[in-house]
This record gives sequence, structure tokens and C-alpha cells, in this order.
Amino acid sequence: MTALLQTLTDGLLIGGVYGVIAVGLSLVFGVLKIVNFAQAEFLMIGMYVAWFCWSYLGLDPIFGAFVALAAGFLIGAACQRLLVQHVIHAPPVAQIFLTVGLLAVLENGALMLFGSEFRSVQTPYQTAALEIGQLFISMPYLIAFVAAVTISLGLWLVLAHTWIGRAIRATSQNAQAARLFGIDTRVIYAIAFGLGTGLTAFGGGIILSYSAVSPTAGTQFVVLMFTVVVLGGLGSVLGALVGGLIVGVIQSLSTLVMPIQLQNLALFVVFITFLAFRPQGLLGKGAR
Amino acid sequence: MRHWIFAPVVLATALCSAPALAEKVNIGVVLPLSGANAQFGISSRNGIELALADMKSQGKLGDLDVNLVYADVPAPNAAGAAVQRLISQNQVVGVVGSFVSSITLAASEVTERAGIPMITHSFADQITGRGYRYIFQVTPKATTFGQKQFEYALDVAAKAGQKVTKIAILYEDTAYGTSQAEGIRKAAQRAGVDVVVDDGYPLGITDVAPLINKLRRSDAQVVFPVSYFNDGLLIIRSMRQQRINLPVIGGAAGYIIPDFQKGLGEFAEDVYSIAPANYDAIPAIADRYREKYGFFMAHESIMYGAALQHLIAAIQQAKSTDPEKIRDAVAGLKKCDGFATGIPGGCTAFDASGLSATAYPIFVQWRGTELVSVYPESSAKAPARWSGKEVK
Repeated sequence: MTALLQTLTDGLLIGGVYGVIAVGLSLVFGVLKIVNFAQAEFLMIGMYVAWFCWSYLGLDPIFGAFVALAAGFLIGAACQRLLVQHVIHAPPVAQIFLTVGLLAVLENGALMLFGSEFRSVQTPYQTAALEIGQLFISMPYLIAFVAAVTISLGLWLVLAHTWIGRAIRATSQNAQAARLFGIDTRVIYAIAFGLGTGLTAFGGGIILSYSAVSPTAGTQFVVLMFTVVVLGGLGSVLGALVGGLIVGVIQSLSTLVMPIQLQNLALFVVFITFLAFRPQGLLGKGAR
Repeated sequence: MRHWIFAPVVLATALCSAPALAEKVNIGVVLPLSGANAQFGISSRNGIELALADMKSQGKLGDLDVNLVYADVPAPNAAGAAVQRLISQNQVVGVVGSFVSSITLAASEVTERAGIPMITHSFADQITGRGYRYIFQVTPKATTFGQKQFEYALDVAAKAGQKVTKIAILYEDTAYGTSQAEGIRKAAQRAGVDVVVDDGYPLGITDVAPLINKLRRSDAQVVFPVSYFNDGLLIIRSMRQQRINLPVIGGAAGYIIPDFQKGLGEFAEDVYSIAPANYDAIPAIADRYREKYGFFMAHESIMYGAALQHLIAAIQQAKSTDPEKIRDAVAGLKKCDGFATGIPGGCTAFDASGLSATAYPIFVQWRGTELVSVYPESSAKAPARWSGKEVK
């Protein structure tokens, strides 16, 4: 029983982190309909930014994550304005080619700039854990989870209750109509994309407290991100969070009955079965 | 009048046939210099370069002009093409590499086909188990490492007064981890010790919580993890987080590099590892390494430095750049000086299958920021510490 509870807890905690990493993609893919394979590289960029903040400014990764958010936003908005804007109305295939190219440039750029070695941080709470009875709750995971949920809720509030949020949603529903209402859609696209990449970079910052960064750090998460977003429902930010939690729990629970190498097998079997019955995902808005 | 026209021609001919020109040879170095295992590749390269510099400064190269040609191979799928390029474009007469067993396996397929000798320190059993003639290994096999990892641990525990009956094995699931885990498992079976946790995990793992949870729920008395760097770090951190203070006997690789201690700080203290070699056996060379590179000499620097020196000595002995003759010289040579003295057993020498004929694994333990050889007695530089107490 304790085993079940422990695995469930671990799954939820790590699921929260998957959620915040994917929420950025949910905005870019779900709301802007841009297939962005380079999304995971922003995770890596966020991790590096947070690492440098820790290394040179002594900033804890959780605070470094906010710096990463800003950096991810600026870099993402620039990428959108200069590169992605040209393929916004092109077939998805063109978007995929562009973003895969961007992925290669970012990853190898990082390799050239930072070298290939793993860099990790040492924080006082890294090896701390909360003991509740027989349950161990890892402190870095817990802090990451709280940060993730807070930021996701923050994003949801922005999208639902601010002008910018409404403008983003309007642009995604019908760009033409949005322009008729006086919304500068090119600026909105850049902001929305930047927000999406910034959030993934934020996710990178918070996982830095327990994970090491290298130029290839993003590749572990690419497929996972798309899985979470599709499972949670395209276009739904809360769906990404819920999707993340579910993915984390499935991965974790599967280790109780099968070897850890088959974690993702279990995940994808569940995912494919689920999609067969509900293709729009959990909180998705139905077929368009 | 016409005599002076011929003078420059005669002079030029004389110069061309002068015998004192250096013999140029290209030696290929295949290592992961980027990607997940870059740390190990870079250390290996450092050792190789220091070994070459040593030979140059000690005048041991004679008129041989050794040119190292590097190929960065971060993963096995790039090995074949890279080695092929070294052979056809650079005409390398020998290859040294590649730290990661799965990369070495891939690279040695190509060197075998091309008839170029390759010397490695990678120790997955398969490397010398294919009946190949052109691959040589300066270390014992992975299963031997696994076996000694287990036996030494039980010896030290017994000396400390602890009878070990239950152990846990955690291993990364590529060639290296799997072979070494097999060695530990078999040795445990022979000794009648119960393996209560026996789990492989994917190399790029980002979350080891399920493994450590399982460990905590079991009643293992000693943990034997076989990992590279990132996974080794995650495992030790998670163990400390869950207040698991069992003796940890690492399986080399990630457990014996400077970054391991840098990443863990005080939590690296007293962690054991099996190792192919340790720098405290060759203090003079180790000091030069530390001065040049700023951190202690990892085992792969010693092993690959020794591998290069053995290859160069073989080329000199063969007095030829014919890879076949060099291969025979490599196979027959027993070299017990230079970097080879840093390998337990003191030499680089090979048996019929290409496996080292003299090397044996040793136990090292972290003390502060240094690695100390503690077992067996023939290699020990300090007494071992088991569960916090010194073992006599």
C-alpha cells in the first residue's frame, strides 16, 4: 500500500513538472497551431540560463527559472518574428521542417557555446525530503511541482481575464476577424509564441535543481511534451497540466508492475487506447 | 661552363635521398567528445596527449612522427562511418578508443574488416568475445569487474565484521552495465548471497525515484550500481534524499570521475568503486597531469595513455607501417614502463583473445576530493572505511 502511495505521489510531482514544460507547447501548438519541434530546445535554453544565474549570481534555480522565462520569451518572440512568421499559414510540413532546423541550430549552437559536459547545481535542499509517515516527498520535486502549478494557473488567468489573453485566443480562433477588431496579429503571434517558449524555459529552470543540463537535455522531453499536450487536449492550458499529471502517474505506476525501461511503452499504450476513444484529448474542444 | 647547371640538380637529389627524414604515422583516436559521455572522452584525450608529450620529451619517439587524428563519436551509430573515414582518408595504422563499450564494439567491427589494430580500455565481454584478431583490451572483462566488485566488497565487509546476505544491483542497460551486472549476479549466486533488487534502467534516465523506492522497500544491505555520470549522480542523490545510508559499491565509469565528487560534495564521501586503475599508483605522472589540466587524473586518462604508448612501441618494434605487422607487434609486446605502470599488474600485455593478460581490478574509495586505492593489499594506499569505520 505504501508502495502504491509513494509511486502515486512521485508520479504526481513529476507530472506537475511535465505539465509546466508542456503548457508552453500547448500555447504554441494548441492555440497558435504551430508544430514546433524546437520547443524542447527552449527547455535546454532555460536550464542553461538558470545554471548561469546560479553559477555567476548565486541565484537558486527556482528564481533563475523566472530569468529563464524572460530569456525564453525574448528568444522565442525573436524566432517567431524572424523565422516562424513566414510559415504560419503554410502547411504543417513546412512548419515541421523549419522547427526541426531550428532545433538543430539551437542544440548545436549550445554545444559550440557551452561544450558538452553536464552541468548541475548544488542547492541545500537537493537531498532533502519531507517525511510523512512512510512517505518520502523529495524537496526539489515538491518545489518544482508548486512552481509548475502556480505558473500554469497564472497563464490560465492571463488567457482568460486579460486583454492580451483574449487577443491571443481571438487570433487563434480567426486571425482575419481579429485583425478587423484592430488586433495586430503579427505582434500577438510573436507574444504568444514567446510566452509559450518562455514557459517551457521556466520549466527547464525548475527541473535544473534535480537534473543536469547539457546541449542534448531537451531531447529526452520532446516526445513526452507532444504526448502530454495531445492527451490533455489541444488548445487547453489546464489540459496540459492535467495531461502532465496523468503522464507522470502512468509512468510511475507502470514501474510497479514492469521494468523501468518499459515506462514509455506503458505510457504510449494507454495514450493510443485513450485517443481511440477520445481523439480530442481530455479537455480538448472537439474536432475543428 | 655546363658543370654549374648540374650542381643544383645534384644537390636536390642528394637532399631528397637523405635518410634522416622522420617517419610519419597517423594514429586514429575514436572517442565521444560531445554528447552524454563527453567527459570521459575528454579525459581519455587528455591522457593520450600527455602520454604522447611524455614520449616526445623523454626522446622515446626516435624518428617517428606520430600524428593523432581525432574522430568525435558520441554514439555507436556514428562509429562505423567515422572509423571508415580515418582508415580511407587518413590512412591510420592503428586506432585507440572509445571508452563507451557500445561505441568500441561498433568501431572495432570496421577496424577488424580493414585489418587495423585497435586498442581499447572498454571492457564489455563481447569486445574480446567475438574471436577478432585486431582488437586489444588493456583491462579485464566486465564480468571480471563485476565479480571483483562483489568479492572485494564482501571481503572488506567481512573484515569489518559484517556478514552480507542480501544485495541490490542497479545497472544502466547498454553493453557495459549489462555485462558488469551479470558478473556481480553470478558472483553473488556462487557465494549464496540473495540479490533482492536487480534492475536495469535506460541510460538517459531522468528520474530514478522508482528504483530508489524499490531499494528502500527491500532489505538489501549493500548497493551495487553500475552507471555512467548523470545516472550515477541521480542515484546517489536520491538515496541520500530517502535517508538510505547503505554502503555503495559503484561500478567504475561515472563513480570515479572528479565531477562525481563536485556534483555530490560531502555525499560522495566513502562511496566505493571498482576501478581499472587509480592515479595514486603513478604519483609523478599524476602530478604532471594535475598541473596541466587542473584536476586529478581519471582512470581513463591512464588507460588510454598506456594504450597509445603500447601502440607506438609496437609500431617502433615492427619497424613498419604495415598494419598487419603492427598488429602482431601489439599482440606480442609486454610493456611495463611509462603509463602502463599505472595499471594494476604494471603492464600492457595481451592474451590470444586480445584480453589483458596482466591487469586486475582494484577498489577505490572517495576521501574528500581524492580517490584512494584501498583493496587488494597489493594496490592499497590507505585502509578501507566500511560504514564509517576503518578496516584493518
